[in-house]
Amino acid sequence: MVRLSDLHEAEAQHLQARADAMQQIEPGVWITPKPLAESKVAIVSTAGLHLRSDAPFTLGALDYRVVPSDADWGDVVLSHVSTNFDRSAFQQDPNISFPAERLCEMADVGEIGGVSTWHYSFMGAMPAPQLFEDTGTEVGQLLAADDVDVALLVPV
Amino acid sequence: MACTSISLIREQSEAVGPTRALWVPFALGRPLGSAEDPEFQKRVMRDAFALLVTATEPTIADYDGPLPEEAGPGQWACPLNLGPVIDDTLTGRLLAEVGRLKTWSSRTRAARGRTLFGVSGAGPDQIDDVARALASIVDAESITDLPDLAGADDIEWAFDMPLLVRHFADDLRTFYHEAIAAQPGSAAPNHDALNDWIFGGTALGDTLQAVADRLTEADDPMAALVRGLLIPEGRYKGGSAF
Repeated sequence: MVRLSDLHEAEAQHLQARADAMQQIEPGVWITPKPLAESKVAIVSTAGLHLRSDAPFTLGALDYRVVPSDADWGDVVLSHVSTNFDRSAFQQDPNISFPAERLCEMADVGEIGGVSTWHYSFMGAMPAPQLFEDTGTEVGQLLAADDVDVALLVPV
Repeated sequence: MACTSISLIREQSEAVGPTRALWVPFALGRPLGSAEDPEFQKRVMRDAFALLVTATEPTIADYDGPLPEEAGPGQWACPLNLGPVIDDTLTGRLLAEVGRLKTWSSRTRAARGRTLFGVSGAGPDQIDDVARALASIVDAESITDLPDLAGADDIEWAFDMPLLVRHFADDLRTFYHEAIAAQPGSAAPNHDALNDWIFGGTALGDTLQAVADRLTEADDPMAALVRGLLIPEGRYKGGSAF
């Protein structure tokens, strides 16, 4: 479990220190989407995922990678620099942090309106989320241009 | 476009203030809770999507569904025989250990039809080269020079030194996790159980500790940072990993 009190004391202190240093993000315009059954959904991950043919993420990376929704799992790798999370689950089932197949299943039965052709991946564990302002805005514009209605943000 | 999100560390979400977040009490690395359990994963997603309807202001809601099964320290033991290895050198012990795991790793790769191994730049079958490269750091004169490995000239390492060291470790851990997944048992080991195993006497854990010591000796801020990315916090015998 990931309540800080359940973690190793040193790791809990490390993560709490990160939280203490973070600043509130100014809320954007509140958007109420159309019904989920009519909404196109995209995943925005912070797991440091990318295609094997892409450049890996490196220290302090603020950029992002595009992951096609029909990517073969054999082509998707993870180059996140943090060692403080368990990679074995993603090795076993990529959907556990990048639920592309789950979205397709939900679209097939009409729970969501559709799945974006493209998903996006950043590398998290950055102490100052504000640093992602430019590339985050860029991804938001790309999603909007693809008529995406809902972004599902998934950490790792 | 509206956003909803999964939160793993509530304290950090509270600090940042996301629009809509579902806090889940799952382990880092497992934001949707349970691997190979589509219904569990979709339940979590549905709870996150529900916030698109129910939240009328920035909200962090608590997940209140079932919890995933996982095996913690003391509840899981490595199903594979790794020792003892008769070799006086760290490199020899590591290569022997890797050799004992190859059959099992191969089985898992064949069953999954994929591997995450190779982010360092090594090919899928170059595990021995990655092991030798990691062990070579222990006695390396410089931590900024690429390892000079006989017979591995064809590898185009994907990172500069010393950050590359961190990805040697990741590739090796990927390989080890693949090996034990060939005999998974009743519940998957969690992060603590895996770290107890790796750092509880495997040649890989001992090599990582020795590499971390070498990075400490370098007395360099970048080396110290890489050490913190090499060994999970709380596991470095020399103190804080960072």
